[in-house]
Amino acid sequence: MKLYTLIAFVFLLSSATHRTKLPPVRASVNYDQLKEIIEKNDDKLYVVNFWATWCRPCIEELPHFLEVSSAYENQAPFQMILVSLDKAELLETDVAQMITKLNIDNDVYLLDDNKRMNYWISAVDSTWSGAIPATVFYKNGQKLHFTEGQLTKEELNTIIQQHL
Amino acid sequence: MKKITLLFIAITAVALSAFKPVDSTPKIANTTEDVAPKGYAIGDEASDFNLKNIDDKMVSLANYPNAKGFIITFTCNHCPYAVAYEQRIMDLDAKYASLGYPVIAISPNDPALVPEDGMEEMKKLASTKGYTFPYLLDEKQDVYPLFGATKTPHIFILHKENGKNIVKYIGAIDNNYANPEDVTERYAEDAVNALIAGTDIKVTTTKAIGCSIKDSRKKK
Repeated sequence: MKLYTLIAFVFLLSSATHRTKLPPVRASVNYDQLKEIIEKNDDKLYVVNFWATWCRPCIEELPHFLEVSSAYENQAPFQMILVSLDKAELLETDVAQMITKLNIDNDVYLLDDNKRMNYWISAVDSTWSGAIPATVFYKNGQKLHFTEGQLTKEELNTIIQQHL
Repeated sequence: MKKITLLFIAITAVALSAFKPVDSTPKIANTTEDVAPKGYAIGDEASDFNLKNIDDKMVSLANYPNAKGFIITFTCNHCPYAVAYEQRIMDLDAKYASLGYPVIAISPNDPALVPEDGMEEMKKLASTKGYTFPYLLDEKQDVYPLFGATKTPHIFILHKENGKNIVKYIGAIDNNYANPEDVTERYAEDAVNALIAGTDIKVTTTKAIGCSIKDSRKKK
């Protein structure tokens, strides 16, 4: 009996979160697929953060990125998407562990397009050298801002406020 | 046992619902602001430097009067991309040092920020791997900004022309850090081969993801 209560609770919990928000995506994509996801014509501000589990400055800035994301996501047409540059085979292991550890409920895509880096790094931004972290802001398919390197909570907030 | 199985199914069902497929229609790229990055551009003359090697001796480009050029490689101990390229950097030196283009590796990170990139750790790595080339520490962190290196690994191929070291190639070693068996573009080798043959380098700059250079004076 106790078990059925537990199962019922698990389902209830999941359906309760589903009502307000779709479950977060965890998927490998190539650059063309990623473009489709972040360059939508829906008046939403997309904050796209490139990171990796091994990248210290990335992991350092992620907690305040997540804070800012939860502050905006239900108040404004806003979505923060995290793009992991880890090796494809690490999606279910290292990346999944970091998602749990940092309690990430944003959509996380792993950009599995290693051999075309020389193409897509410049396509994301001509000034991007390829160092991470890097963050891009899009609305209606237009790039509004690009930063290579960390952003403080204040800097992130300021850029979002400018473009919401 | 049955209870555990049931619970497992319930949890799996919830977990699976977290995945959803993505669609894939390519779109035309849009570009906006263009700001020229600092550091050397192709064709610039690179300044010489004087940095401490893992044998505690100082190394300058002037120490190589017979070199025809250099494969300057900003790399380090800790970065997974740099680790992935360790063997390929050794292979470049094995192939090209005798042809006049030695590898000079420079670690640009501040060891205070990344202890495993300190001189003692560099010595250990070089000895374990059997590095055949200098592995220098940019102690004052004033050489990497001059080149415009931003990450590890970051390669600058120089060619000696009238006593000057001219920058001929900037970027990645090849197009597949993850799998050396599946490399289809050997940018660095192609560049050195062109210099040796006296022909134009077809691809003079490339980009790849790398670890940002750790410097307490700048944004990480």
